[in-house]
Amino acid sequence: MSWAGPEDIFLSTSLASYLDKKLLVLLRDGRKLLGILRSFDQFANAVLEGACERVIVGDLYCDIPLGLYVIRGENVVLIGELDLEREELPPHMIGVSASEIKRAQKAERDATDLKGSMRKRMEFLDLD
Amino acid sequence: MLFFSYFKELVGKEVTVELKNDLAMRGILHSVDQYLNIKLENTRVVDQDKYPHMSSVRNCFIRGSVVRYVQLPPDGVDIDILHDATRREARGG
Repeated sequence: MSWAGPEDIFLSTSLASYLDKKLLVLLRDGRKLLGILRSFDQFANAVLEGACERVIVGDLYCDIPLGLYVIRGENVVLIGELDLEREELPPHMIGVSASEIKRAQKAERDATDLKGSMRKRMEFLDLD
Repeated sequence: MLFFSYFKELVGKEVTVELKNDLAMRGILHSVDQYLNIKLENTRVVDQDKYPHMSSVRNCFIRGSVVRYVQLPPDGVDIDILHDATRREARGG
């Protein structure tokens, strides 16, 4: 195993190769942002131009336009380069309007809440 | 600096990075830095169907702070060299 030489001080996983490319940014809260990277820094703070949020609920998706975004690096999970020769999404997925996706999100949230409340009601059984 | 140097030795090898959000990505380690940020190439998501938005991502940058595990090929590790380096680091640090 070799130790750090003088040239390694400059070794860094730079986002420079991603500049001016359309990227997918995954955030810690589960959101998926798409946009063109215009700027970044050592904390992985990023500026995305023409950003949109891709909301996916089951087989439905919707791109909600956001404009120019500055993302604080601590929220970044992953920055992915989109391969233009491949489909961004599987073909079976259906694009819907913003209002429809919001309804689908609410339905999903309600189903999760219902599951949670039913589980809570069963807790007294102490099955585990 | 020990793990930074260790990962530099693994550049070019195939690794699977498991993130704290349970997403796991397999790919070739392209580069690593002092924060253990990782750049992967030729990426495939382990559970592709669960993450449809990742289907066209082939290269990615992963922030070091969100990594849970880095799974290595079994022959990618020379345990003895790693032991020696750790002992040296412990003595020196």
